Amino acid sequence: MRQAGYIDRARFAAPLLLAMTFCIFLTRPALSHHSFTAEFTAEKTATLTGTVTQVWFRNPHVRYLFAVTNAEGDEEIWDARGSPVVWLARKGWTKTSIKVGDVVEIYGFLGRDGRKMLSIMTVTLEDGTVFVDRVPE
Amino acid sequence: MIAKTVCKLCLTCLFALPVSNMAAEADFAGRWMVSLQDQKRTLVGLLELERSEDGWTAFLEGGPAQVEIDGNRIVVIADSRDVRGFVFDRKLVGSLENDAMSGTYQQIGSAAQKEAPGPWHAEREVAVAAADTTPKPVDITGMWTATQELDFRKYTMALTPAGKEWLENYLPYYDQPDVRCTSIGLPAIATYSFPFEIIGSENRLTMIYEYSSKVRRIWLDGRQANKFMPPSRMGHSNGRWEGSTLIIDTTLLDKTVRDFRGELISENARIEERYSLSEDGNTLSAVLTVFDPDNYARPPVRRRRWVRKADTEIFPYTCDPDSFYLTMYEDGEMDMYIERTDQRF
Repeated sequence: MRQAGYIDRARFAAPLLLAMTFCIFLTRPALSHHSFTAEFTAEKTATLTGTVTQVWFRNPHVRYLFAVTNAEGDEEIWDARGSPVVWLARKGWTKTSIKVGDVVEIYGFLGRDGRKMLSIMTVTLEDGTVFVDRVPE
Repeated sequence: MIAKTVCKLCLTCLFALPVSNMAAEADFAGRWMVSLQDQKRTLVGLLELERSEDGWTAFLEGGPAQVEIDGNRIVVIADSRDVRGFVFDRKLVGSLENDAMSGTYQQIGSAAQKEAPGPWHAEREVAVAAADTTPKPVDITGMWTATQELDFRKYTMALTPAGKEWLENYLPYYDQPDVRCTSIGLPAIATYSFPFEIIGSENRLTMIYEYSSKVRRIWLDGRQANKFMPPSRMGHSNGRWEGSTLIIDTTLLDKTVRDFRGELISENARIEERYSLSEDGNTLSAVLTVFDPDNYARPPVRRRRWVRKADTEIFPYTCDPDSFYLTMYEDGEMDMYIERTDQRF
């Protein structure tokens, strides 16, 4: 466990297959405008496992693109969005915490209308390190 | 004899009941301070109840709320937006007795910030005593960490036709100033969950916000802005002490949006902030009111509370809109974005 202070390492270790089945149903409408009040839905969450292909550890929002293999064996790129840098950095989640090539399991709220997006709640690395993106209490 | 008495009693009840209901209903009218407790925090807000020929209307913190009143019973449903961006309702059910309301409330709909059901009560708003205006400044300088106390975070506001027209064409994902790294400014910046610092000088207070690294000066000497100073989203602020409350008036504002919904705030807006310090000096509370009759039929109100913490630091806030533009480019949306230039400022 690389980062002290992060919790719940075991809870997010498994549900990969379940995540794959989600992918079958989730396709992004071509060129749809993001004309929604909120980009994500609070009703649906998902846990997806994939390989990080791009990292933006910058404001206004931290973003990770990661490649997920769906149930049909096809690769899909998902867009995981995190809180502003300062919120994460304060908890020890920095630019180098999650890197391109890392295999990650990301748990979060799903994008609306089938967009391949996750609003990050946790990111779990292969070594069990868990980063938690929690709203202020 | 007995039958006659019973009949008389029934008739009395039949006629008396509606009369007493009407009297109780009328008593709901007015301005109330609502206080609501879940397990983590206490929220406070201004509830206005009005009756017209069409029935009752309610406004919480300046924004419309659903209301049902029956006898001495009341149900109020008001929307809110949590810190993660999810919109939900709070439903307050209660009754009026002895000129005070009380009952229970619960969160309706999905939100990331879960609230446990809890009690609420309301008392009539007490006008601030005009006598206690002798300035008694208190020391509010220091680093302040935001809490989630007080603020209902009311989502929809009572808009004018012009305000509604603006909102109909607003697309937060594309038009929100923050997504392209230009600061949203006041009043939103003062209500975000980031720390800020207050520095005191002889004639001013300087506020440094972590969010978007913005700075503002609150002039305590009554000065006007230089006549060539351009409007900005931090505006020109004059502060004065009324008792131990710091009242800040801000004008010379540039166009911005009130919050993530995208309701417009015009250049003609005036923002009033009232800051007060707890007796132990460790808790700072504020009420922010936006006066912008171009866009709002009623002034929107937000509240915030901050605490002093020994380890509070202001982190640097750098911002790069690269990923925002790149995504639009990859999705073939750049032409659409450019055509919407009028929606941005």
